Amino acid sequence: MLTVVFDAGPLITACKIEVQGKPVVDYLLSGSCIVVAPSVEQEVAVLGARYPDGVVAGERVAEGLIRVVPIASRKWARHVANYNLGKGEKDSIILCDQVEDVEALVTDDYLAFVVAIRLGLKAWMLPDLVVQMTERKSLTVAVAESILSSISSRYRVGVIEHSLERLKEVKENA
Amino acid sequence: MPKVVIPVKEEILQAAERRKAAKQGEDVTQFLAELINLGFEHRLQELYRQFESGEISLGYFAAEIGLGVRDLYSVLEDRGLPTSNIGARPSPANG
Repeated sequence: MLTVVFDAGPLITACKIEVQGKPVVDYLLSGSCIVVAPSVEQEVAVLGARYPDGVVAGERVAEGLIRVVPIASRKWARHVANYNLGKGEKDSIILCDQVEDVEALVTDDYLAFVVAIRLGLKAWMLPDLVVQMTERKSLTVAVAESILSSISSRYRVGVIEHSLERLKEVKENA
Repeated sequence: MPKVVIPVKEEILQAAERRKAAKQGEDVTQFLAELINLGFEHRLQELYRQFESGEISLGYFAAEIGLGVRDLYSVLEDRGLPTSNIGARPSPANG
């Protein structure tokens, strides 16, 4: 099972948008272990508790499906200190170094993505995780297409188109 | 709508009172409320431009404007703006 660290943006999107009556995050949890920093839980599930997606996130945390891991090491704190990143993004990057077997940081934020790459991490956007899970047969191509189509309004031009092309390749290679 | 007491620059207050005297507009409170809304929108657009260009992250944007990340997400969504800043900016032609 893939272990991924989520920052707030993709977590909100995954908890907010539904496919066939089910939040996207539940599809993701069927084939990945989602880890978040306490500051991300705070941003999404605590401060966001008045939104239905905040409740979705809070319930998954309470059920232990989304793991909240406190920051124990500040090895990269100084590396990220001077970027214009929020606390959740900084903590998510730092957490990637701390949690064992993290496959990637999942972020839809350009700056967080670049900083993660500069630190030698693997960074994925949420649509990349959907493709990766399809490649690993945790999602069907049809569900992946539905997810990509449902979340497309949250992305700029090129991102979803790119992922749909990747899905075609997955389908051809299956 | 909540009401708060805030210091206002003399020139702004004078402008509001002159407008009212000249019957150019609404009462002073309404004029000042409108200025606050315009100021918030201006700051939002200014920060969104920095976010769009990748200078600041969504979380930094939220902290700078004084909203939680989830509230900012909602504000951007209500305006039809993407919450991700990776990829090409939409051109006027494709929305």
